[in-house]
Parts: sequence; C-alpha cells; structure tokens
Amino acid sequence: MAVKPFGLVFFPAFDWALTPTHPEREERLLYTRDQIVEEGLLDIPGIREYKPRLATLRDADRVHIGVPDIASHITDAHLVSAGGAITAAEAVIKGEVARAFALVRPPGHHAMRVVHGTRGFCTINIEAVMAEHLRRHHGVRRVAIVDTDVHHGDGTQDIFYHDPDTLFISFHQDGRTLYPGSGFTDEAGSPRAYGTTLNLPLPPGTTDEGLHYVLDNLIIPVLEDFRPDIVINSAGQDNHYSDPLANMAITAQGYASLAAKLKADIAVLEGGYSIEDALPYVNTGIILAMAGLDYSRVVEPDIAAAPHGLTDGARAYLRELVARQSALWRDREQLGTVAAAKAGDFWTRRRGIYYDDSGISEQQVEKLRICPRCHGYLTVASEAEGHHCGYQSAFAAVVPREPCPACRQGAKDAVLAAKRQGKYQHYIIQDKENDLLERV
Amino acid sequence: MLLGIDVGGTYTDAVVVAGGKVLSQAKAPTTHDDLLHGILGALDQVLAGVDPAAIGRVALSTTIVTNAVVEGRLEKVGLLLLPGPGMDISSLVPERPWLLSGYIDHRGRETSPPKEAEVAAACRDLADREVFAVAGKFAIRNPLHEQAVADWLRRHTGPAHITLGSAVAGSLNFWRRANSAYYNAAVWRHFGRFARAAQAAVAGRGVTAPVHILKADGGTMPLAAAGSRPVEAVFTGPAASVLGIMALAAPQGEAVSLDIGGTTTDIALWRDGAPLFAERGAKIGDYPTAVRSFWLRSIGVGGDSCVRREGGRLTVGPERRGPAMALGGPVPTVSDAMIVAGAADFGDKGKAIEAMRITAAGGESVQDAARAVLAVAADAIYTAIGKMIDERAAEPVYRVEDAVRDRRPQPAVLVGVGGASAGLAPLVAERLGVRCSVPAGAMVANAVGAAAARPTIEVTLRADTAQGYYTVAELGLRATLPSRRFSLADARDLASSHLAERAAAAGIPVVDVESVYDEEFNLVRGFSTTGKIIACRLQIKPGVFTTQEGA
Repeated sequence: MAVKPFGLVFFPAFDWALTPTHPEREERLLYTRDQIVEEGLLDIPGIREYKPRLATLRDADRVHIGVPDIASHITDAHLVSAGGAITAAEAVIKGEVARAFALVRPPGHHAMRVVHGTRGFCTINIEAVMAEHLRRHHGVRRVAIVDTDVHHGDGTQDIFYHDPDTLFISFHQDGRTLYPGSGFTDEAGSPRAYGTTLNLPLPPGTTDEGLHYVLDNLIIPVLEDFRPDIVINSAGQDNHYSDPLANMAITAQGYASLAAKLKADIAVLEGGYSIEDALPYVNTGIILAMAGLDYSRVVEPDIAAAPHGLTDGARAYLRELVARQSALWRDREQLGTVAAAKAGDFWTRRRGIYYDDSGISEQQVEKLRICPRCHGYLTVASEAEGHHCGYQSAFAAVVPREPCPACRQGAKDAVLAAKRQGKYQHYIIQDKENDLLERV
Repeated sequence: MLLGIDVGGTYTDAVVVAGGKVLSQAKAPTTHDDLLHGILGALDQVLAGVDPAAIGRVALSTTIVTNAVVEGRLEKVGLLLLPGPGMDISSLVPERPWLLSGYIDHRGRETSPPKEAEVAAACRDLADREVFAVAGKFAIRNPLHEQAVADWLRRHTGPAHITLGSAVAGSLNFWRRANSAYYNAAVWRHFGRFARAAQAAVAGRGVTAPVHILKADGGTMPLAAAGSRPVEAVFTGPAASVLGIMALAAPQGEAVSLDIGGTTTDIALWRDGAPLFAERGAKIGDYPTAVRSFWLRSIGVGGDSCVRREGGRLTVGPERRGPAMALGGPVPTVSDAMIVAGAADFGDKGKAIEAMRITAAGGESVQDAARAVLAVAADAIYTAIGKMIDERAAEPVYRVEDAVRDRRPQPAVLVGVGGASAGLAPLVAERLGVRCSVPAGAMVANAVGAAAARPTIEVTLRADTAQGYYTVAELGLRATLPSRRFSLADARDLASSHLAERAAAAGIPVVDVESVYDEEFNLVRGFSTTGKIIACRLQIKPGVFTTQEGA
C-alpha cells in the first residue's frame, strides 16, 4: 500500500450530455464506474475519493476571455469538472495525497483563451483553470503539462503559447489525419517561450512500443530538464486501439505503464470514447499505476484484437521525430532569440479557429509585444460568426503575470485605442497581475 | 405481543411490548461462553406472568456472529475467485484464494469460460474444507459462472455449504462480495447450531411464535431464512439501538441520535425519519464487506469513562477502569459527575462527591468540577457529530444536480438513549443548538428495537434492453426481458413481483416497499439509441411495527 494515499476525483456527470447521442453523453463513464466500483478500487486504503468542488467564474476568467462572457457558454457541469481538477490539485498541494487523478467530464483541452462556444467537446480548459488556480493561490510557478490524448491539445497550447513557465508537450495522432488538424512540430511557442510548446505528431497505428520510445527518449528527459514544480497529465484515452474516433493502437497496459513512468502529480481525464472496450480497463490501469499498485493484470478481454508491431517506416519516422524535437529543445534559447529578432517589436499571428460543436468560425489576430523585461502584453482581436450566435466580436488585451510598467500601460492603451475606433462589440482587459477581468 | 432480546457486552436485556407499551422487561448477565444460557435467563424472567402463547414474534439481536469473527472462531473456507482482468485482490481477502479463469464483463457477457478442471484441482488442494465461498467479478450481472463452479464443487467434493458472492449482495463491488461470501461461509455452521438451539429452547418455553434474528441493516429475518445468510446478523447491537430510537422517539426530518452507554457513544444521523446507511457496507475486521448496515460512529465516551487531569487539562475516556466511584469503582467517572450535577441518582452520592473533589482543579467547587467533566464529555460527542456531518457533506456524488446542491445535514433534533443519555444528551443538544429528546424507556432501547423491528428484504434488478435480458442478483436469476420497450416503471413493477417472491420464500410479509436506488442510461451506438440500461433496487423499508410510548 502506498505510504501516502492516492487521490481520486471521480465525476462521471451522469446527468449531462452535449446532445443525447453525442460521444460526450451520460453513458460515457458508466462502464468505467462499473469497473472501478466492481474492482473495489474506492475501498482500497491507499485510495481516497474526493467530492469535486465547484470552480468559480473567477477561476475561469483567470484563463479565458469569454465573448460576451464565459457564463453565457457554460453549464454547472463545466464548473464541477474544472472544480474537480482543482480539488485533485489541492489534495496534492496540501500533501493529503501523493498524486491525484481527476476522472471527470466534460473535458477541456480544446478550449482556447478566447471562447465563443464549444469546440472538440470542450468549453473551458479544465487543466489550464487548475494550473492558473495553483499559480494564484498556491505559489506554483513552473508547470509542465503532458497531453496524452489522441487529439492535439490545441486549446492548452493556445493558452500557454506565450508562457515560458509552462511546458506543454502533446503527442497525438498526426494532425493531417485527425481533428483538430494541428500540433505540428513547427508549433513551438512564440519567441519568448520558444520550445516550451513541444508537439509530437505520431503516425496512425502507433503501438505501445512506439509511444514508449517517444516517452523514454524525449518526453521524460525534457521533463527532467525543465524541472517543473508540478507535472500535469491531460490524460485522454483515445489512443486506445478500440477508440471509434481515432486510429492508434495503444493498450491499457501501454497507458498504465505510461502513467507509471510519467509520475504526474495530477492527471485529468480528457477524451476517450471507446466507452466499453477501453475506458474501464485504461482507467483502472491508470488509477493502479498512479497509486503505485500492481497493474499487470489489467488486460482488455479482447486484447487479441489489438494491432501489434510497428512498421519499419513508422520506426524510422519516430527516430527522426525524437532527434528533431530533442534538437529543438536543446537549441530553444538560440532559436527563440532568432525568432524574436525576426518579429521585431511585435510578434503577430492570424488564425482561423473553428468551433465544431457550436458551428462558429472565428478569425483571430494576436499581437504579442516582444519585451525584454517581462513576458510582454498580448492583444487579441477576435471576430466570430455562427449559425446560432450570429456575429460576435471582441478586442482584448492580456497583462502578463509580472508585467513591466510599459506593458501594463501598453495593454490598457491598446484596448482604449481599439474602443475609440469602435470596430468591436466588446473590449476586455485580462489582468493576470491583479487577477481581474475588466470590461472597458 | 412482541418479545425482543438484545445480547449486550455486559447484560442481556429482554422486553415484551404491545400496543405501544413495554409490558415487561428483564435483565440477565451475558454468558459469553454460551450465549444461549444468558438469553434463556432473560427470557424466563421476562415471560414471568406473560402467556407465552400470546407472543406474536420473538426477535433476537445477538453477538453470535460478531463474537465468532472477533474471537476468530471461523471455519476454514475454500475461497474460489473468478477475478478476470483488473486489480489483484489475492492478498486483500481473509483467506488465500484459489483463482479460477473465466470472465464476465460489465455488461454481464461471458468473455472467457470457467474451467471444470481447475475446480477439480482446487477440490484436491482444499480436501480439508467443507464450506466454500465462490465469487466472480460482475457475477451480479450474470451468475452463471458462479453457479457452474458451485455445481462442479458438488460434483468433485461433498461441500456442507457453498456461499455465492452474487447471492450475498446485489450491488457492484466484487472485493466486498468476496469478503462477505467468505465470512458467510466461515460462520455458517456456528450460526446454524446456535439458531437450532435457540429455536428449540424458545419452543420449549411454550412460545409458538416465529423466531427472527436482527440484521445489521435493522431488519429482521426468520431464523430459518437466516441460516443461509448468517453474515447479515453481524453488528446487530448498534442496529437494535437505532431501531429502538425509532420505536421510542420516531425522530422526523433530519436528526442525530446518541446511544450513550457505559464505555461508548454510538452516533447516527437521520434523514426523513430514517437512519442513514453506510452506502457500501460494513467492515468486518479489516475487511470491507457488502453487508448493509446503518452508518454509525462509535466514540469512547460513556457513563463509566474515567475522568482525570493531565497537565491540568481535564480528559474523559476513552478507557473504562471500572464502574462509577458511587458504585464502588476505583476512579472518578462521567457518572459520578452526573450524580453530583443532579442529572442522575444512583449509588453512594458521598462517593460521587469525593470523585469530583479528586477531579476539581485548585479552588474549584465539586459542582463546578462536575459541570466541567460533563462539558468535556459533551464536547467530544459534539466534535464527533461535526465530523460525521462534514464527511456526509463531502461524500462524492456523480450527478451535476447533486454536485451543485448543498447536501450538508442539518439536524433539527437530538435523541438520546442509553444509560448515560439523561446527563449528556441535553448538553450536546445545547452545543448543536437543537431540541433534545430523551424518551422514556431509553434504558432498554436495544431490546425494544429488536422486539419492534420489521422484517426486511431487498432485490436489485438490472435490465439491459439491448441484450434483452435482466438479472436479479439476490435470486441468482438471469431471464429474458418481456419486451424490448422496457422502462424504469416496468423495471420497478418487475422488481416488485420478484421482491414479493423472495419475501414469500423467506416468510416475510410485503409492506412498505420503497425504491432505494435507480438509474437509467440510454445506450448509444453509432449515433443512434440501441437500448437502455436500467437498474433499480427495492426494499421492504427497515422500520418498527408500532411506536412505543414509555415504559
């Protein structure tokens, strides 16, 4: 039995669905509930179950800029889910448990900084809300997030793209073959945070062997090098060979041994839609592994159906990927300096963002001040158009956590200037120093 | 007239109750080496002047099972498990198990069959065992593997008894069912011997009424039916006390009850006039089981708790070093403080005053010392109640609706029973800011609880309309659904007919049936609904026949 117990926040939201037949429906964690209760996992002396608290709107506003506000996009379920992640994190921070798993829904890793609606089943980013809560209330500074969902964690990447104190590593099925179509190796962070976004697109059909090659040779060494205060695992489970929405070949054993090696302080459930054939076993495996218990008997009844064996092509690709991303990590400071010089005073990015669940297309222009004294202030000009919502737009500025006076003033001036021009419907300042979201 | 007997740690109490009154009560020392001796002693006293033929039912709350567990008087059990994939519980059960292959998944589907050759091999290895327990993962959703293993055991050895995990409880939790099944088999022979002797002895006194035994969940069952499920008769003392409170005080709404005895106080929380249950089951020894029981907390504060000063600080309990000084005991006790404070009147008051003189801090009067002792004792109980309320409020919930609603218990009344309740319960109630009630008859609440407890029984029905079958775990039943269009209301109807069937087989009348749990999920495959999973549990509500008014 573990010396310090393991914390579990289990919140299957049995009365919440995006729509009745959506993959994010009441039934999703039913068989996971069946398995973990039937196993007796909740009675093991080394496992302590926690009731999720409710996150507040302020917790969400610390991360997101909702248009017109975050409250109009979310339900109580989102606050329980994000609150569940916070509950798990606080149990660890307070030393009540050694590690914790927020096995909660709805998920969050596709929710970006600006929120016009729901995309990739996500409305607010529950890991980001948790991480920023830890920073604000528990003195955590350096955060590492490892996203092990089959889909690229584009929301988490977006939120921390300019933050050198947050390392975001995502492996996922190659974006050319799967939603959301991003997560390529050239997405590496803006100049001042270059290399703290690390993407590992994996070929469809990647097996436990391939995944663990990347884990052992890149993810674990980079994590050790970054020396985070806390390691968070965005624990999606749709790399499983039976997942209906993706094409990978990972098993419950593959996921459990990943959890054992990663030693995340906190894991948070993301996707995973093979609700009968994968989730009961993968979740049992992760819980046992994180609790330091024997997981060797957690094997899917249909394990014979799991594809095995990597092609030589896939093996060569993974070797090349690890080599390239290791070099990027090694040379990140120098590469960041070059990128900063190229950008000049402001780094600019124009993007289209699609909200598949809400049917909204957003056009976004980000401008980040390349500041020698702080992380730099950011402005985001966002216009969205959708079937149900019509047109909605906002201009926002983000004051970084420890701003220099120039960036603090610059952010304010930028919003006031935009307001004078009057092109947008909403003008917002997200002040990370004072933990405020102000409407101007 | 109903006759109730409660076997306590020190005394065996017996009462005869009728028409809301305790007609007769008796007390005899508990005889630990032969419980029946003390039981018959109390029985003979309580029946003096009562027509034994007029007794309608005898109910026993006995420590027979609890003692067997505590004293390790357990028969060696052949424990056979079908764990399938998942956590390895081999080292977490009370007996080294034989692990068998074969697996039933969460939908009750066989994913691999069990093997007779393995059972035959187990029988050779377990040749010295006569009682067996068989438990399979998800057997409550398909008992066929457990039943097949039981058949093979009968073929390869001559078992005196086999307990199936799926028959001891209808709820999820393989580990708890395995532990329950083990204990059930381990006490089966011992309990059976006691039950037959008790039945014969009661009949020998001219009582023709059926003899029931109290269960940990506060219901009774006929001794005959209890023979196959003796583990349910564990920890009945606290259950009897809770039932006694129901009979004597019938607390409505939210309440807290205290049974303040010689060395301990048992605390229960109540909602809607019923005590809260331990959701998953009782713990026996170090092993969690699926035995349904009330959710109780026991703390080491009672009338005989010793009182002392440690570094100037007054402490109460948890030890007992003998009776009150007023009764010739060696050290000051809570009871001595109660006598001095005027909340109790027994024994030698002079010695109680002497006890408080020993206890008093420099310059403190004996009255003040007595009040201080009672305040410390009441504070310990108050703190424990607060912890229970916190724990209840922190209990995980799985629905958004429940997560956003504040479910913190807010008791409005405190009911106290037991020997030391008159002195302490009002003080605890005052700390909680609630009304206090100490019903008359509180001293024999346990025996009254046993006498008045109603028989209970439950069934758990789970339907899988996509597969077209349903199970009732407690009956070992797996049957075809009458229709694919099957609703939660249909499930309740079907469950209630199976409840009636199970009750009839056990000789229990069907009254006051309640739904304790239900859930309904749409099964969606490929974006269309292919069926439903429906589960419901019905029970005959634990309760009392009539409300008693005073002794």
